[in-house]
Amino acid sequence: MKTISYAAALLCLLGFPVASATDWQSDPANSHLNFAPSYEGMPINGAFKEFSTSYQTDSQGQPNRLIVNIAITSADMGNSDLNEAIGAIDWFNISDFPEAQFISEEFSDSGKETFLARGTLQLKGFKKIVTVPFRWQVLSDSSASMTGELVLSRSDFSIGSGEWASGEQIGVAVKVWFDVAFTTKKPNL
Amino acid sequence: MDMSNTSEQWGWLSKILHWLTAVLIFIQIPLGFYAESLKLSPLKMDIFVWHKSVGMLVFLLLILRLLWRIKGTIPDTVNASRIPQYLAQGAHYLLYGLMILLPISGWITSSAANIPIKLFWLIPLPALVGPDDAVKSLAAEVHEISVCVLLAVLVLHIGAALRHHLLLRDNILKRMWF
Ligand code: HEM
Ligand code: HEM
Repeated sequence: MKTISYAAALLCLLGFPVASATDWQSDPANSHLNFAPSYEGMPINGAFKEFSTSYQTDSQGQPNRLIVNIAITSADMGNSDLNEAIGAIDWFNISDFPEAQFISEEFSDSGKETFLARGTLQLKGFKKIVTVPFRWQVLSDSSASMTGELVLSRSDFSIGSGEWASGEQIGVAVKVWFDVAFTTKKPNL
Repeated sequence: MDMSNTSEQWGWLSKILHWLTAVLIFIQIPLGFYAESLKLSPLKMDIFVWHKSVGMLVFLLLILRLLWRIKGTIPDTVNASRIPQYLAQGAHYLLYGLMILLPISGWITSSAANIPIKLFWLIPLPALVGPDDAVKSLAAEVHEISVCVLLAVLVLHIGAALRHHLLLRDNILKRMWF
């Protein structure tokens, strides 16, 4: 805490616009993070029921930082047998890796409220650089939404290893899409 | 041999449909038990594709068969006393019923378990219901009970056919054979 306030004080002294940055926090009740692996080419939809996202924009409303924390244990594929199966060592190995995280501080503006966030996805003990496209829409002073879609390769994270690795039945490409509602964080001061 | 049934004989279409279904059912039952016994693996999923494909093929043949049956005549019942006649007819209706119940309950089980179906790795089937654990358990239960009833009725059905052929020495089995 102390170091942070020293750093903030220092930044203020240096004239950085810290005060005008906006911290946004996801509203869990209205946020969705879905994923769909494919089985014989047909999607099986699932969702991470628990995840939180914090997003900081600078004074111009441009992205500064995006952090997504995902409870892998909350993965729900609509069926208790499937949910149990995906927790196994070959798949998510949730007992060793119950959480995943994506952090990005590198953004590019691709116009029309859309951005690319380049960052590190930490999942099942692997760290990979991933680029997440998203659309950011500010709806009011205190609410905004973030939506996007990408395709990840499960083999980058050794999810579905061993006899599943070939991707013959369960495809290697996994679609991920999200629709996250944000509210501004109350200032801590 | 005629394609249509007469009052004495089954026509060849009915015979083919009966025996093709019989062969498929005899493959289908062990396939189901084998698939169930495996632990989750690519093999299990492939065996289930076979099971679902063969099962839906049975269903398709059944529809053809029922249409054909409604359209045409069926051979007369043999000169037997009432009770075996009713038993035989009851068993036949039950078998038809089970050949509807089994595929439908299997299809619902699969849909409710959120597992998409692609028959013979070619033909996708739509989900009948959304993912739901309770529906899945119920449909699987219906499927399993149907299997038990099917096994019991088949013992009766095959036993009766053999009895006609070997003990009563009438033409019941012959008229269904080629
Ligand atoms: C070794 C196995 C089997 C034998 C020997 C056999 C024999 C027969 C015979 C002789 C008939 C004709 C009865 C008659 O003319 O009155 C018949 C009818 C029938 N069989 Fe089988 N069967 C066998 C397996 C099966 C199986 C596996 C099924 C389906 C699950 C089945 C379903 C039926 C049905 C529904 C009828 C009634 C046909 C109708 O009236 O439309 N049979 N079977
Ligand atoms: C046509 C006749 C069919 C027969 C005789 C049959 C028979 C069987 C048998 C013997 C089993 C293992 C025992 C059990 O758990 O019930 C089984 C399981 C199963 N069958 Fe079938 N089946 C048929 C059609 C189908 C179809 C068309 C589907 C799917 C489209 C299907 C899906 C399943 C599923 C998902 C299971 C596992 C149930 C569970 O999780 O407990 N079956 N079947």
